[in-house]
Amino acid sequence: MEAERRDPVEATLPRLDLQLLTTSLDPLACLAAWQRQLADLPGGMPAAEAHFIGRVRGVSGQGLPLEALELEHYPAMAERRLQELALVTAQEATAVLVRHRIGQLRPGDAIVLVAVAADRRGPAQRCGQALLEGLKHDVPFWKREWVNGVGTWVEGNTPL
Amino acid sequence: MRVLLFAGLRERAGWGERSWPHSAGLTPHQIWSQLPTPAPAHSVRVAINHSFASFDTPLNPNDELAFLPPISGG
Repeated sequence: MEAERRDPVEATLPRLDLQLLTTSLDPLACLAAWQRQLADLPGGMPAAEAHFIGRVRGVSGQGLPLEALELEHYPAMAERRLQELALVTAQEATAVLVRHRIGQLRPGDAIVLVAVAADRRGPAQRCGQALLEGLKHDVPFWKREWVNGVGTWVEGNTPL
Repeated sequence: MRVLLFAGLRERAGWGERSWPHSAGLTPHQIWSQLPTPAPAHSVRVAINHSFASFDTPLNPNDELAFLPPISGG
């Protein structure tokens, strides 16, 4: 198969594949499609990948059975902040994949997928960790937990 | 200019978007102090035209100002 030709300057930048999804997220299918693209890179697959999948808990912050989780975002700013965050954190990475849900989710549904490919495990893991923490604190998303028909906005994040 | 509220802030205020009259030297802090049911300012962040900003940034007439409650993504 012919290797993908990229501009030399462009080839030094990480490949960013970032999306917010209103429909269900199948993280393993997304990962498989992304890895097929990585295999076409000049030089083949990067040597290291770090993956994170976050799912909706079955209980609320108050310990009650969760009916649903709602994810609101600030359109335009969320996409912009995600792009900025990826550019800053992915300096040592070859490629970054982020999928983040918005809208209504059920317990067990995937909320977020972060995958980073790099030449070594250190950059892959560091970038993945920084991206995830940035998503939790610096990209305008808000969660609302629904329990017994009552919605409660989640203020802040669970501990690391 | 436009003022936006999100999530719990929107529900406490009862509106999510309003036009706001601009005046010279107007800052997010001045608008925040006029909102009917504000949360503690230390728990809220400000964005101007989709970028984080401080509460004392001077605003321009066509700015989009948003007050953001604590973020909980990921």
